[in-house]
Amino acid sequence: MSKYIYLSAIPEALIASMLPPKEFGEYMATGTQKRNVSQAIFFEIDMEEIRDLIDMDYVNSRCIRKENGAPKSSVYLSVYRALEMIPLRALKSLYVTTETGVVLELQKTEYDKTRIVPGALHLYQEVCPVSPLVASSFSPEEFLSSITSGVMHIGVPKLFFVDLKLGELAIDPISGSAEQLPYRNVGHLRDCLEILKTEDKKHMKTVQRTFSGTVLYRTINTGFYIGDKDNIIYYKYPTMAEIEDKNYDFFRAI
Amino acid sequence: MISLPGASTFEIIAIWIVLGIAFFGLAYALLLRRQVLAHDKGTERMQAVWGGISEGADTYLKRQLKTIVPLIGVFTIVLFLSVYIVPPSEESKLRFAGRSDEALKLLIGVGRAVAFIMGACFSLMVGQFGMRMAVQANVRVASASTRSFGEALKIAYRAGTVTGMLTDGLGLLGGTIIFMIFGVASPDTLLGFGFGGTLLALFMRVGGGIYTKAADVGADLVGKVEAGLPEDDERNAAVVADLVGDNVGDCAGMAADIFESYEVTIVSSLILGVVCFSITHELSWIIFPLLVRGIGVLSSIIGTYLVKGKKDSKENNALGSINKGFYTSAAISIVMFGMIAFFYLHEWRSFLSVVMGIVLALVLDHITKHFTDGHYEPVKEIAKNAKTGAATLILKGMAYGFEVAVWQTVVIALTILSTLIIYWGQPAVFVLYGVAMTGIGMLTLTGNNVAMDAFGPIADNANGIGELAHLDKDARKIMDSLDATGNTTKAITKGVAIGSAVIAAVSLFGSFLTDVSKVQLQMGFDKADLLSSTGIRISVPIIFVGFLIGGVIPWLFSSLTINAVTRAAYQIVEEVRRQFRIPGIIERTVKPDYQRAVDICTISAQRELIPLALIAVVSPLLIGSLLGVEALGGFLAGVILSGQLLAVFMASSGGAWDNAKKTIEDGLYGGKGSDAHHAAVVGDTVGDPLKDTSGPALNPMIKVINLVSLLAAPVLIAYQKPGPLATGMIITGVIAGIIIVGSILFSKRGGFKKHPFIE
Repeated sequence: MSKYIYLSAIPEALIASMLPPKEFGEYMATGTQKRNVSQAIFFEIDMEEIRDLIDMDYVNSRCIRKENGAPKSSVYLSVYRALEMIPLRALKSLYVTTETGVVLELQKTEYDKTRIVPGALHLYQEVCPVSPLVASSFSPEEFLSSITSGVMHIGVPKLFFVDLKLGELAIDPISGSAEQLPYRNVGHLRDCLEILKTEDKKHMKTVQRTFSGTVLYRTINTGFYIGDKDNIIYYKYPTMAEIEDKNYDFFRAI
Repeated sequence: MISLPGASTFEIIAIWIVLGIAFFGLAYALLLRRQVLAHDKGTERMQAVWGGISEGADTYLKRQLKTIVPLIGVFTIVLFLSVYIVPPSEESKLRFAGRSDEALKLLIGVGRAVAFIMGACFSLMVGQFGMRMAVQANVRVASASTRSFGEALKIAYRAGTVTGMLTDGLGLLGGTIIFMIFGVASPDTLLGFGFGGTLLALFMRVGGGIYTKAADVGADLVGKVEAGLPEDDERNAAVVADLVGDNVGDCAGMAADIFESYEVTIVSSLILGVVCFSITHELSWIIFPLLVRGIGVLSSIIGTYLVKGKKDSKENNALGSINKGFYTSAAISIVMFGMIAFFYLHEWRSFLSVVMGIVLALVLDHITKHFTDGHYEPVKEIAKNAKTGAATLILKGMAYGFEVAVWQTVVIALTILSTLIIYWGQPAVFVLYGVAMTGIGMLTLTGNNVAMDAFGPIADNANGIGELAHLDKDARKIMDSLDATGNTTKAITKGVAIGSAVIAAVSLFGSFLTDVSKVQLQMGFDKADLLSSTGIRISVPIIFVGFLIGGVIPWLFSSLTINAVTRAAYQIVEEVRRQFRIPGIIERTVKPDYQRAVDICTISAQRELIPLALIAVVSPLLIGSLLGVEALGGFLAGVILSGQLLAVFMASSGGAWDNAKKTIEDGLYGGKGSDAHHAAVVGDTVGDPLKDTSGPALNPMIKVINLVSLLAAPVLIAYQKPGPLATGMIITGVIAGIIIVGSILFSKRGGFKKHPFIE
């Protein structure tokens, strides 16, 4: 049976498994006994690209069928700085999984600057390796660059984040309607956005320091981004109509 | 067979035609049944899932029958003996002139007892056959959805129509046969017919309501909330009980409920029609209600047959097609009523009353839809309040629930007022007859209404089977769409069911006033002392006490039914948790014991039937025997007012919370998993027993109380004169009080003896 290597973003870990992506997603979300309920977001890793970085003997010795013939679900290879270790070229598809274990595959797409509305504000949920919720006037590319370039006092070498919907607040934080937005404490969000709008030198503002561990899949705006100071990889998130049409199970589960 | 002195040839033929239409309606139901059963049951996997539902449904129906039959036996004897306490009416003596008193008593006693059995059996048949039909149809709808939307819609709707036409056909058949045999004496026996149907409806409604919500709440709390399993997941031990529950509650319970309203309106219109006939000597007062019912059955047949879906049609088209059938039936009915009014009645008052009934049904439909449908402002507002938590969502839902109760009651009051205007200047009995005719009009389209209601659980179950049998995406899209349409049609028909229950109760109340006065006259009361002359004087303290206690009964009933659901849901939660711990169930290598959850729901539901039925049957006896017949009138008024307000509030707020949750699940405020969704799930869980157990159970409860009062009133009048018999009344009252207290204690504790399944 094939072996797979996955880079999990929630929680950050490098995991070997005998399960193909969809089964792995279900396992990560609900556990073997189905007593777990949590989202899972992970990348499939091109094993050839990381062969020199991990102990393949260990993987081969641990990733074997159980006594009852069942495939090995997970062998944790790393739980610290895993994202930093994996080269971006090794990333294959991204898989997002609902709490009930329904998986949606997102493929790499060319970063499309035309989808970014000029002057609009953004809301980024950083997922890995740090995970605050940040409002920003930067486009995803600028945001990634500012955090990973090393220019800022606080930064990380690589960042994985998702662009969330802001609706009318993206243009008008004060009087734009927040009716459809599901975020807690919208008043605070407006304050943060207003600061970005009025203070020229301020481009980022932390809205929430801690991450609930749940991304509301219906509020994703353009998609997921991962990269470092030189590269950006974009995983386009389909529209709800596209999800309904092509991934009906996922549509029903979110 | 027909004995109607003074009847014209047209009237005799018309009655025979009405009888023929009743059989035609039943034959149409049989034809549709054959059409539905001719479709395939799908793959082995689908049939395996369906087998569980079918088995669960059988278990429930058999146990229910076992619980109910002894009680039917007891009431049959009581009704037979009732004529030996209060003699048959003057109309009976007229109809069966030449017979001795003893022979007449025997004849009326047997007639009343047989009518009771007939009413009970018809109600049982509507519920049981309707539910079995729904169970037969759901797997076929699931299978058809793999081929086309149109075929799936047609099977689901036609299977629902089988129940609708059974309701129509059996209701019309019973009333017509009794009328043909007993003629002007029919009120003496019709009460038995109405009581039989109503009592069984109470059983079906209460039992079905407790079953369905215990299963639903229990399955959701553990499966969806705790374990994070999707809806209808095969590893959830309560999933089959949940699917069975949809049939038990929304199909069997609702069909029996509407059947008894259908029955009771014809009973009260014939009772009041006979009184009008005795004043005017015109038979049309009695024959018109039967003709209206016959026309209703015919127009329902035409309208329901028109409901078809195109192969690639979407949800709105399904609803559009169903609505087209409904409005076609309504239009045909109104035109034909007009023709009868023009060519036969030669006056328009009765016609206008019937049309007011149809208008009332449509207005109540729209009010219900406005406050409970996700496309309108109230539900959107409730969903918006989910953003600030469950508390504000629940408060908003309650606020709208109260508002619906206000508007629906105002509309019903205006309808009754319009009847008063239509019969302006006529004695009160004609106004009451007009109210009864409004009820007849309102339930003209019963075939369509029940079809729309039964369509809901069929589509819901088909969706569950599709989920459990892992049908492909396209099939599930079709079933999701049908399920969504079914949710809308179910909500709409609930409004009609409650509204018709109130109108039926008001016309029964009218019958109570006229019947009591007739008996008082027979007993030698002065004209000035007759109830029809004094009215029910709410300013007299003892009458007001009756009124207050009447207002309390729906609250007591609701408290006990919600308590029963909570208790049973707790047992289901424990059972599903226990089964989750069994190795292999989660891994899908071991099948859960679905039957055990079905058994817990069945036992819990059946155990509550007797005490709740006893409260409904005995409470009017308690009031009547201790406080007198006028206080009993006040008691009935209290029951009707409080019951109507509470039933509408519970059904509407529950429906609104349900749809607010669905709106959020459709993508509003972040969709599933958002804080708003968590709040909405709490609201929906609170609303579930309100809208599907307690609220609907009040409909038959109100009418059981009214019918028992009607049946008991002559006895109460006869034995409330001073003397030893009055002491007997006090003893009766004390016994009734003990029975009620015992029933409350039994129901609150969940029985005096613990069942092995139940802690």
